[in-house]
Amino acid sequence: MILLDRVTKIYGKESGKPAINRVSLHIEPKEFVILVGTSGAGKSTLLKLLTREEKPTSGKIVVGGIDYDTLKDKHIPLLRRKIGVVFQDFKLLPQRTVYENIAFALEIAGMTGREIRSTVPKVIELVGLTGKEKSFPHQLSGGERQRVAIARAVVRQPKILIADEPTGNLDPRHSWDIIRLLEKINKYGTTVLLTTHNADIVNKLKRRVVTLEHGKITGDQAQGSYRQ
Amino acid sequence: MSKKIDAKTFAQQKRRRRQWLTFVRMCRYGVNNFSRNAWLTVAATAVMTITLLIIFMTLSARNVLVDSLSDLSKKVDMSIYVKNDTKPEDAAKIKAEIEKLPSVTGVTYVTPEEARADYAEKNKGDSEVLDALNEASNEFWGILRVSIVDINDTSELSKYVDTSTLLEKHIDPNKEPSFAGDRRTAIQNIGRGVGFAEKLGLVASIIFIVISSLIVFNTIRMAIFNRKEEIQMMKLIGADKSFIRGPFIVEAVVYGFIAALLATGLGVLILVSSQEKLLEYGISVRPTIEIVTLYSPFVLLAMILAGGLIGVISSLLATRKYLKI
Repeated sequence: MILLDRVTKIYGKESGKPAINRVSLHIEPKEFVILVGTSGAGKSTLLKLLTREEKPTSGKIVVGGIDYDTLKDKHIPLLRRKIGVVFQDFKLLPQRTVYENIAFALEIAGMTGREIRSTVPKVIELVGLTGKEKSFPHQLSGGERQRVAIARAVVRQPKILIADEPTGNLDPRHSWDIIRLLEKINKYGTTVLLTTHNADIVNKLKRRVVTLEHGKITGDQAQGSYRQ
Repeated sequence: MSKKIDAKTFAQQKRRRRQWLTFVRMCRYGVNNFSRNAWLTVAATAVMTITLLIIFMTLSARNVLVDSLSDLSKKVDMSIYVKNDTKPEDAAKIKAEIEKLPSVTGVTYVTPEEARADYAEKNKGDSEVLDALNEASNEFWGILRVSIVDINDTSELSKYVDTSTLLEKHIDPNKEPSFAGDRRTAIQNIGRGVGFAEKLGLVASIIFIVISSLIVFNTIRMAIFNRKEEIQMMKLIGADKSFIRGPFIVEAVVYGFIAALLATGLGVLILVSSQEKLLEYGISVRPTIEIVTLYSPFVLLAMILAGGLIGVISSLLATRKYLKI
C-alpha cells in the first residue's frame, strides 16, 4: 500500500543535512503502523512526502499504486483525495459547521447532494458526533474537533489514513477515544499510519512500530514498544 | 422509445453536471463566507465603496471640469471690427461668409449703435464714463463676434481676414481683430489653460483609480492572508485550485456589487447636494447629473463591473501565493 525505497529529503542546499536519509519502508494494505521518534527525527517530513507537500531529493515513493515519479502536479489533488489525513491541530474550516466540514471533502470530489446527504450522517454517527452537526468548530471540545477531522478524512473511504500526532493536543481520556476510533477504522479495512510521542498509547496498542531517529529508520517491530 | 446514449456522451454529461455542481458550490461558499465573516465583510466592503466612490467622483469631477471649460471656451469669442459706416447688408454678407468656415460655430453682428448701448449699459453706474460717452464725438465700431470650435486654432479665421476682398473694404484699419492684437495672448492663454486642465483631470483620474485599486487589493490580500491556513488545508485534503479560488472570487464580486450600489448612490447624492453651491462659483454640475441620470443603468453596471474586476484581480493575485503547496 505504501512503499518508500531509499528516500532522501534534504531541505535547502543539496549539501545540507538530510531530514530523511535513505529511508526504505513497506506498509501492507490494512496494516496499522505507528511511527515514533523524537522531535526532529523526520516524522513530519516523511508524512509530507506521502501527501506530496514535499518532493523527495532522491528515492522512490509509491502510494496506493501511484508512483510519485510519474505523478503530474495537476493530479496531486486526486492523489490527496485517496489519502485521508488527520492533523494534530485539526485544520477544520472555522466558518463551517461540523456537517459542512465533513461534506466539504465530498463536495471537492464532485459528489452530488444526494450522495452527500446519505454519506455524511453515517460518518457523523461512526465518530460519535450525532447531534453536533450544526455546531461550529469553536463550539466543540478538542476531542470532538479531532473526531470531525477524522470524519472528514474517512468520509471518502480512503484506502490509507495518515494521522499526524492526532492526540498531541488532547487529554488522556480523549486521546484514547481517538485511538479507539482509528482502530475501528482500521478494522473496516483502511491502512492506518499513526505518528505519536505518546509511549503509553504505543505500548498498549501492540501494533507494528517503526522508529525514526535523525532521519533514519532505527527500528521496525511487528508488536513494538516505545520508550521516550 | 427510450433514447440511448453512448458511453462518451454519458461521460461528457456527467462531467458537465459536476462542473455545474462545483460552480454552484463555489458561489454558495463565497456568499456564505461573505455573510459569516462579518467584520471582514464590513471592512472590505467599506474600502471597496470608498474606492468606487473615488473613481465615480474623479470621473464626474473630470466631466464637470470639461463641461465648465467647454462653456468657458464658448464664451470666448473673436471680435472683428468693421467701420461704423458699414451698411447692415454688407455686414450680413460678411457674416454669411464667415459662417461658412468649418472652424466657425457661430457669428453675431453687433451694430455700432448696439455696441454703444452695450457700453452704456455696462457702465451705467459710472457717471464719468457716461458723461464722456455723451460728449465724445468718436463713434463706435460694428463688431462681428465669432465663436470657433477650438480657440487655440484661429488660422482659418485669420486667413479669411487677410484674404477676403469684401471684408477688406469694411474692416476698420485702426482696430485689429481680437485674435490678432493684444487680446490674442489672453485668448491663447485661456485655450492653453483649457487643454492643460483637461489633461490634468485625466492624469489625476488615472492616479486616483490606481491608488484606490491598490488599497482594495491590499485589503483583499489581508483578508485572504487571514485565511491562508484554510487555503492550505483545502489543498491538503485534495481541493482543486479553482475550487479554492472560486469562493474568494465570488466573495470579492459580492463586495464589489454591494460597494458599487453604495458608491453610486453616495456619488449621486454628493453631486446633487453640491450642485447649488458650485453654481455660485460658475461650475455647472447639472450636465453631469443629467448624464448620470439618463444612463443610470449603464453607470451602475459600469460601477459593478469595476468593483467586480478589481475584486477578481485582487483575489486571483492574493490566492496565488498560498496555492503553491
